[in-house]
Amino acid sequence: MNKPFNYGVSLYSFTDDFGTVLTLDDAASHIADLGATGIEILGEAHIPGYPNPRSAWVDHWHGLLERNKLEATNYGCWLDTRLTVSRRMTAKEGAADLDRDLRLAARLGFKFVRPKIGVVSFDLVPDPIWEEAVERVLDLAHDLGIVICPEIHAPTPIRHPVVDSYINFIQRTGTRNFGLLLDTGIFQDRPLPHWPGETPEMRRDFLNGIKVDPDDILAVIDYVVFIQAKFHSITTRLEDENIPWERVVPALKRAGYGGYLSSEYEGARDPWRSLEQVRRQHALIRKLERDYDASAPVQ
Amino acid sequence: MLERSLMQTHGFRNIETHGTTTGFQLRVRLPSYRGMRLSLIDGVDVTVDGELFGHERNRLSLGGRTYSLAELREATDARWPLEEAAVVIVDKQGGLTPGVHEVELAVRLRQPYIPIEFQPSVISETRHATIVF
Repeated sequence: MNKPFNYGVSLYSFTDDFGTVLTLDDAASHIADLGATGIEILGEAHIPGYPNPRSAWVDHWHGLLERNKLEATNYGCWLDTRLTVSRRMTAKEGAADLDRDLRLAARLGFKFVRPKIGVVSFDLVPDPIWEEAVERVLDLAHDLGIVICPEIHAPTPIRHPVVDSYINFIQRTGTRNFGLLLDTGIFQDRPLPHWPGETPEMRRDFLNGIKVDPDDILAVIDYVVFIQAKFHSITTRLEDENIPWERVVPALKRAGYGGYLSSEYEGARDPWRSLEQVRRQHALIRKLERDYDASAPVQ
Repeated sequence: MLERSLMQTHGFRNIETHGTTTGFQLRVRLPSYRGMRLSLIDGVDVTVDGELFGHERNRLSLGGRTYSLAELREATDARWPLEEAAVVIVDKQGGLTPGVHEVELAVRLRQPYIPIEFQPSVISETRHATIVF
């Protein structure tokens, strides 16, 4: 079934601009001007006084959403499992951090919470405490109406034991409050430019793109609850230099995805460049969605 | 709002204790897209005009408290918010001479979601900055 996408933006897109040349109010106004409806934040970044914002700030946040006709989408948090130099976080401590973030996210109106989980291996296997930590807060997530969604992020592809373990968890618990967040960086099929100071020896292979086949989405679509539309550079001709949207958009359409595409710009950090890049991405994806709808058989 | 550069122009000055200049201090914003608990901050190296002041000895001041490196590493409840500059305190008898200095900062961050082989992340930036007196 062909469902329309929802369009949003993560404040991550404005990294380095946010708090130096861009306020929260500026950012929300830019997102609204795109015709987008969703705003995504990182809790420990965009909430002053995290994890205990003043109530005046919480009121301001809700006013900001209303004025700009935006809804709070996804709230990013972390399970910082390598807690200190000498010891790892326990599952109980992890659950306490998730509990805190779920409650704060709900207070701000968010529907999704993405925990970024610390890893224990070179190929990004998450610390095994994630399972107990998440299970301890599933009832709370249910009561708050929130879906917890770890991200599938390069260099981890869709067909991978880490993804299997998340799906097994959903099947074992039968929960509806846990799902997958896809980061579109996994579809990157051309190399990123080198960052300032990065030499060929420093290059990590996955920055050249892990080239996941967009059709792999179909195998996991039942579990995908949110998408971070990661990108790095879009030209004046609306050509993305790294992410093959012309294949990703039709695959999402065929899979029947009707959730959010939340922009995550992760390119050069010249002041305000992010604002223009996000506009180009929305123009590009909206055009591809229109093209697909125009050529797709009527449902 | 904070300045764009890691090292902030505001707050670069000598420290005087009981009439003696014992060191200098500067303000730095967190070079990350997120705030972090202090136990994930592994200190800040400061190099002024080629002279290195290592992260093992510099102290960091945040939220009205000053931390040695050992104290930072155990501070799991205190946080460095993205919107706040930290003060780096460096011991140097006599302080820095008034005038323009080349200052390099290297902030060391431990990011648990990155494989340990690539940690800590060291983010450095060099700029000119001025001690007024």
